[in-house]
This record gives sequence, structure tokens and C-alpha cells, in this order.
Amino acid sequence: MLTPARLLLASHGTTGARAAEKMALDLCRAGTELFHLIVVPDLWGGMMGDDWLNNASTRAAYGKYVEAQLAREIEQHREMLGQEIKTRGVRCHTKVLLGKPELCLIEHAAEIKPDLVVIGSPRPAGTSGLRSRMRLEKLVGALAVPLLIVPYPK
Amino acid sequence: MVYTQKTPWTLVMGVIMVAYAYMVQSGVMEPLITFLNTGRHAGEMQTLGYAFGAVAILAGLWQLLASPKEGQTDYYLSTVAGLTFIMLVAFIVKWGLDPLMAKWGREAQPALGFNFANILNLNYVVMGIIAGIIIVNVFKVPGWAQNGVRLSRLGLKTGVILLGTLYSFAELAQLGKLSIVLIGVFVLGSVGLVLWIGARRNLPNSMTGVMSAGIGVCGVSASVAAAPVVQAKSIEIAYTIGTVLLFGVVCMFLFPIVGKALGMGYVQFGAWAGTGILNSAQVAGAALAFQPTGIETLKVAEIFNITRVLFLPIIVLWLALWYVRREVVTERVDVMQVIVGKFPVFVLGFILMFLLSSTGIFAPARHYQGAYFDNSDKALIKKDRSGKEINNYLKDADVETLRKDAEKVKREDQRAALQRLIDNKKVMSEDDDATLRGIINAKIMSKEGTAVLNKAHRAVRHTAAKIAMFRDLIAWFFTFGLVGLGMQITAASIRQAGGQPLVIGSIVGVIKAVGSLIVVMMLVSETV
Repeated sequence: MLTPARLLLASHGTTGARAAEKMALDLCRAGTELFHLIVVPDLWGGMMGDDWLNNASTRAAYGKYVEAQLAREIEQHREMLGQEIKTRGVRCHTKVLLGKPELCLIEHAAEIKPDLVVIGSPRPAGTSGLRSRMRLEKLVGALAVPLLIVPYPK
Repeated sequence: MVYTQKTPWTLVMGVIMVAYAYMVQSGVMEPLITFLNTGRHAGEMQTLGYAFGAVAILAGLWQLLASPKEGQTDYYLSTVAGLTFIMLVAFIVKWGLDPLMAKWGREAQPALGFNFANILNLNYVVMGIIAGIIIVNVFKVPGWAQNGVRLSRLGLKTGVILLGTLYSFAELAQLGKLSIVLIGVFVLGSVGLVLWIGARRNLPNSMTGVMSAGIGVCGVSASVAAAPVVQAKSIEIAYTIGTVLLFGVVCMFLFPIVGKALGMGYVQFGAWAGTGILNSAQVAGAALAFQPTGIETLKVAEIFNITRVLFLPIIVLWLALWYVRREVVTERVDVMQVIVGKFPVFVLGFILMFLLSSTGIFAPARHYQGAYFDNSDKALIKKDRSGKEINNYLKDADVETLRKDAEKVKREDQRAALQRLIDNKKVMSEDDDATLRGIINAKIMSKEGTAVLNKAHRAVRHTAAKIAMFRDLIAWFFTFGLVGLGMQITAASIRQAGGQPLVIGSIVGVIKAVGSLIVVMMLVSETV
């Protein structure tokens, strides 16, 4: 069984990611440092699309609203995970990054140098959720540490 | 924050533009211009090439040599790079790709049996938007160009404001009435339909609310305006905007093809596109794709677009009140704030330009009514680009053709008008022009005789220089705006199309497109 001292978990609240969270917490022992990475996909940069009719004030209100909404969703996600972490006595550091998921993960892994990286499986076709995936080929090619991909829950 | 980025590209683009304008002026580009048959654009190639090139060179030098400080000057000058970038793409598309596709379309016609460039509407508008989409998705918009690319919204709004100069009172009144009826029925109808389907399927109110605005009113803009009001979740926003963008891009290509296949006129197509296309940015694109060499369709479509936009504050208010009744919300709905905050200010500019043009400040009233009559020597004898004289009086052979056919004309007024044409080798009055058009329409004369009458008619009908200038300017503003908006349509956001918004959007979008097509074909005549 793996017993990493520094574990990097990338998750963002989906069913697959929750399975990864559960596995990551199972791998943690007292004193394990858990680095929790939440990536806000850069597709949000294009989420005003080709809007041209609105005034600057409406666009600004929308931008602020979307930011606040994403922050709220991240906070809810952190709170859910936080309760589990507390009960297990794990030290957790959370980082939120904006960008392409695999690039953010590679960058953060290089920075914190974990013993193990844990991620969830890609969402099966037909299930709801944002279409933003880790490009595994890129990830596997660039990561210098073991990568654990947790199966999607049945 | 300092917005200006040090880049040599602004300077490089400026030099390319000026060099191109100079090569056109000096005749070096003549073989290419002849090959592409773009002689009619030679004037604007020089004017726009020099103007934008000079501005880009100055701004490029400033970017490279100066040390910009935080402030308004820095911000405004930082937009020049992106503006130049869009214009360069637009130049390449309008003066290069558009005529090239037209040429290939004609040349491939004997082999294919159809002109693919015409069928697929591969004109500068469609290709400009495609170029924008390719740039953002394949190459990415360079960082130094991003501030300027955002100016494309201003370009479109300015185009709409200037469009106000080209309407008569009668046109605006009739189009306005028609658009209020059609938009009223289809916007309110589709908003209501989405709310009803959402309730039937037990969808969250936030999702139903943002979807109804996006699918019912004017696409992405309505979603942006409504999302905070109905407290939409991030996934609901992503689904809705993805669906609307997907539909908008598909419709922009599909509508002109269907319109041409059904033989729709400019008014019919403008009314249909203005009502049936979910996303407002693609309305202008489809109208210009349907009629790239004129703006009659755009004029109709934009009235419908403006009517939709005027409905937006009302719909947002409706959704706000609808949401408050169904959900526990802490904030009260401020009716005035919603209406004033969402009111499209640029529509006031459109109305102002319309009122100003109605006073005759830009051109005499008769100049607005299509081509005006002028049979003076100044109007009939002109010079081409090489300085060669072009005489539009009828030639002796033309006169002989008319003489041979003259006996076929029996009506006294038509015989008299024809005789005056033969004697003077030009149409002598506006009444004569109308009478001779009667001969053409009655198909009394031979094919050759009719061709001569058409030639004589064209020689005395002219588009006022100022009106032509406004039209060109408007077309350029729209081209600039649409290429820039194309650079903001990312594949990543289109890929988010999914979930209930895709299902409901598909149902309501198709009902709206087909329903408005049927209504327009049945009720809208070609003349307004």
C-alpha cells in the first residue's frame, strides 16, 4: 500500500473527482500533507462569447457574478472535503488555479514536489458536467512522480 | 496597470498596409487586381491602407520606443494593435479570399454543375467570421491584440448607429411595426415556451430562467444580462451559452443557404434572420452573407435586432419578478435599475442619426430612395482608374437596334419616350425613364433592344456619393465587428452545449426558425 508523505489531489467536485478524493484520503496517514488543487478551466474566459449588445455595466455585473458563483461552488466543495480531512488529522493546503487542467497540475506538481498525484477518471460520455478534461498524454509525459487515476464509480 | 505591450507587430502590420496601398497606387498590384477582378476596390485599398497603416506605424513606434504610464492614453493606444490586426485580416479576406473564392466558384461551375462559392455564401463576411474563429481556436489571439479585439463590439454598435442614416420615415415605420409584431410573438412566445417546458420537466428555476433569456431573446447577450438576475449556476450558464453559440454559428451558415434556395427577397430574409436566429451577433452576419454587395437585407435585419434588444430589459425584468416569486432571494428587484441598466444606449445613437438624416443634413431626401436620376454630361461621361474616358451615351449601334424595334411599341407615350431616347442617345427625364422601364417590363422589344434600354436606364441612375460612402463605411464597421466577434467564439465554450439547455434549445430554436420562416413567407411581401 502506498503511504505518501506529500500527496497532490486534483479534484473539482464531480462524481469522478469525489472518488479520487475518497481514495486520496484513504491513502493519507496522520502527518500526511495533502495538497488539494482546484482548477477553474480557462474556458470561462470565453464565456461572454460574442456578446456585443450589453453595456459595460451589464458585462461587469455578469463577470463579477460568474466569479462569485465559481468561488461559491469552490467553497462548497472545500467545505465538504474539509470535514473529512479534519476527522483524519491530515494537513491540507488548497490552491485554486485558472488555466488548462493538465498544465495547472503539472505546474503545481513541479512546485510542491509530491510523492503521489491522485486524479479521478474522465467523466463517461452522456453524463452531465463541464466539458473540460485532463489531457492524460500530456500529463503522463510531463509528471515526474507516480500518478494514480481512480476508476469512475459504478 | 499598463496595458500597452511592447511588440514589433503593430509596426510591421502598419508597414505592410502602407506598402500595399502604395503598390496599388503605383500599379505594381495591377496584375493581381486584374486577376481577382477587384478594380472597384482599388480606391478603398489605397485610402484604408494608408489611413490604418499610418496610424499603426505611429502607434507601433510609440509602443516600441516610449515607456507608457498608467492612464487613459496608455489604454486607448493599447487597442491600436488589435484594431490593426482585425483590419489586416479583413483586408486579406475582402480583397483577396472573397474574389478568389468567387473566381474558383465560377471556374469550377462547369465541372461541379453549381457555383460552390455562391451556394455556400463564401463571401468576405462569412470568411471573415471563420477567419476570426480559426485564429482564436487554432493560433490564439496574441496578447498584444486582445484589447483591440474587444473593440469589435464598438465597431458593430457604430455600424448600427450609422445605419440610422439610411432609413426613410416610411421604411422605419413599416419595418418597426412588422418587427414589433414578429419579435413580440416569437420572443415572448419562445420565452414563455421555455419557462413552460422547464416547469414541466422540473428543472431548477435558475436554469430555466437563463435558458429562456438566451434562447428566447437575443442569445449570449441576453444570457449575460439575465444570469445574475436569476442566480444561474455556473454549469447552467455554460450549457446555455454553449448551446446558443452552437445554434448561432450553424444558423449563420444555414439561413442564407435556405433563404437563397427559397428565393427569398431582401425584406423577407432580413425579417426571418432577425426573428429566427437565436444569437444577435449572427443576425448581422447572416444578413451580410445573404447580400454581401448591398445592405438592404442588413437594414431590415438590424431593425429586427434592435427591436429584440429593446425587448431585453422587459424580459430581464419579467424573469427577475418570475424568479423572486419562486425562490427565496435576499435582494429586492429594483425595476428602474433593471430597465435603465439594461437599456441599449447605442439605440439612441441610431435614432439620433436617423433624425439627423431626415433633416437632409447628409444628402437630399431623393438620394435615399435608391438610385437617383441624373442625365447630365458630368454624370454620363466619367473616367476610369487609368484616366480613360467612359462615355455612357448610347452608341450608334445601340440607336440602330432601338430603331429596328421601335415599330413594336404601340403606346403613344412609350413611342414618344423612345423617340426622345433615340434622338438624344440618353434618357431625357425621370418620367421617360419610368415609361421606358414599362417597355422593358412588358417585354415588347427584342432581347438586344431590351438590353439597350437597360443600359440607358443604368446610365442615368446613380447612387449618391455620400450615401455610397455611408454604405461602404457601414459595411466596413460590420466587417470589423464580425471578424472581431469571430475571434471571441471559442470552441471550448461551444463544446459546453449540452444538458437540458441543448434539448430545450434545439426544440424551441427549431420551432422559432421554422415558425418565423412560415410566417414571413406568408405575410411579408418584398416591398416595404
